[in-house]
Amino acid sequence: MQPATASQPTVADRVPSPALSAEGLSLSFGGVKALQDVAMELRKSELLAVIGPNGAGKTSLLNCLTGFYRPQQGRVVLDGDKVISGLPTHKIARLGVSRTFQGTHLFTGMTVLDNIMIGRYSHMRTNLAQAFLYVPWTRREEVQHREFVEDIIDFLEITTVRKRVVGELGYGLRKRVDLARALAMEPSVLLMDEPMAGMNLEEKEDLARFILDVREARGIPIVIVEHDMAVVMDIADRIVVLDFGRKISEGTPAEVSGDPVVIKAYLGEAH
Amino acid sequence: MSMQPAGVFAQSYVRDMAIFRTWKQGAALGFFVLALLLVPTILGPRYVAIANIMLITSVVVLGLQITTGLAGQVNLGQAAFMGMGAYTAAALSSGQQWPFLVTVPLAGLVAALFGAIFGLAAVRIRGFYLALTTIAAQFIFVFAILNLPASWTGAAQGLRVETASVFGFVFNTDNRMYFLILAITAIMTVGAYGIARSRHGRAFVAVRDDDLAAGFTGVNVVRAKATAFFVGAFYAGVGGALWAYYIRFVAVDQFSLFNSVYYMGMVIVGGLGSMAGAFVGVFLIRAAQEILTSVGPSVADIFPALGSSVVFASVNIILGAAIALMLILEPRGVMHRFNILKRAFRLWPYPH
Repeated sequence: MQPATASQPTVADRVPSPALSAEGLSLSFGGVKALQDVAMELRKSELLAVIGPNGAGKTSLLNCLTGFYRPQQGRVVLDGDKVISGLPTHKIARLGVSRTFQGTHLFTGMTVLDNIMIGRYSHMRTNLAQAFLYVPWTRREEVQHREFVEDIIDFLEITTVRKRVVGELGYGLRKRVDLARALAMEPSVLLMDEPMAGMNLEEKEDLARFILDVREARGIPIVIVEHDMAVVMDIADRIVVLDFGRKISEGTPAEVSGDPVVIKAYLGEAH
Repeated sequence: MSMQPAGVFAQSYVRDMAIFRTWKQGAALGFFVLALLLVPTILGPRYVAIANIMLITSVVVLGLQITTGLAGQVNLGQAAFMGMGAYTAAALSSGQQWPFLVTVPLAGLVAALFGAIFGLAAVRIRGFYLALTTIAAQFIFVFAILNLPASWTGAAQGLRVETASVFGFVFNTDNRMYFLILAITAIMTVGAYGIARSRHGRAFVAVRDDDLAAGFTGVNVVRAKATAFFVGAFYAGVGGALWAYYIRFVAVDQFSLFNSVYYMGMVIVGGLGSMAGAFVGVFLIRAAQEILTSVGPSVADIFPALGSSVVFASVNIILGAAIALMLILEPRGVMHRFNILKRAFRLWPYPH
């Protein structure tokens, strides 16, 4: 047997380029500086949490990464070489950045199945004329992507509600459908905006398990913006801490929770 | 809300996705088609004429169902898009002697391109403002027809249209036209179902329900809206072409804003987003129109003081009131009510 050092490459060898990185992001709304020169890096198959007090710029950062906001300065790079800042949201989504929403932004008039099938939209090729005639090829394509979607439905344990209209479902299930839709896009990066907000303990534990499974089973690197410290400390590999639009700390949960700057930002300064 | 009859379990995704999942559903469609085919033999010429108009209107309203019902883009210019198609078919058939099978798809395409322009407008504005913008289509249409060279459009005189003929067979009677219109309507219906359950149909509904999330899910919202108008107007154009060949005369006032509003009413009464609802809406509103216009004159005879103009006005008042009532009592349309009933029957005797 070979020594462990030879068969187990170091982290630096395994990660030639970050899955997603942001450099010098600055964003302001009028006089409000939401982000100031923020840099971050999401490594391959890593679970990175972004935390910070209210108004720290967490959601602004996420919106810059997904193209919903255009930062005035800086750029966002996918897979080390694709600059995605400035592209429209649907192009960024097609390049492999998918996201879930705070609350939910599901298509409430559609069934669970159709919601998740929308995630396959940009992977499907049927054009209008083929859809009009519903040619055999279109049917085959539907079945093929349906199989893919059914895998995700199984994975997230929502098989019993697949034909239900999303508008009728409870909040916890909706969050899972939201995650399923994001996964159906076969993302190379998954961004989650406050997935735990408004959930009870049991639902939080379920979702935390699903998030870890996504990372383990599918190897998708995840950025999670979250308020719930307990969850973050439990599941994150690394944490980025924002305050007043600036990155004030970065590191493993243990490092960050011991960082005096972070404690000061959360608890205020002792007088 | 969808619910399948008990004991029906799909063994494959193809079966699960099928529109007709049981042989009974297939048989019901068979009987319905048979009944449609027998309309000219069983019913008199007056009813055939009504059926022709209903089928043509169905094609136009199917299109509106796609633009407004699926994609959620309000469209009060559907009659103008229909008129574009009608004039294209008329000009090409009488001016250029082009055959029916060429002019009908071309009429659809011309209308679709005209419609897609308004789809691009829908990118920036929505709801009430979009409704106003699509009304502009009506005025642009009238302006264009009256000001383009009269040799193309006949200007204020309108255009005569050749009889439709396919491979030498001339459709010169109402009964013959019925089968031609029925065939085209059937193709357009199958197409509407195909589009609705394809990736494009899903993208339309996604844009309707949450255009922000649609963008993040990889749907090009701009393109989806323009496509929804393109498809909807294509249907209007084909319907317009059928109208031109059936009436054999086109004039600007056949495609007024008034008609557009009625098409919208049909979609609402039938049920937004339901293809079957488009037919239900067309049938109910057209039938009500026919009944009111045939009963009206006899009412005027009994009460001469009312006069004939009052009868015409009352048709619109009654139909308008019916649509308004529908919006108040069942805003999701007849098909929604029907689905609730169907579900109740499948569950009976259990409450849920």
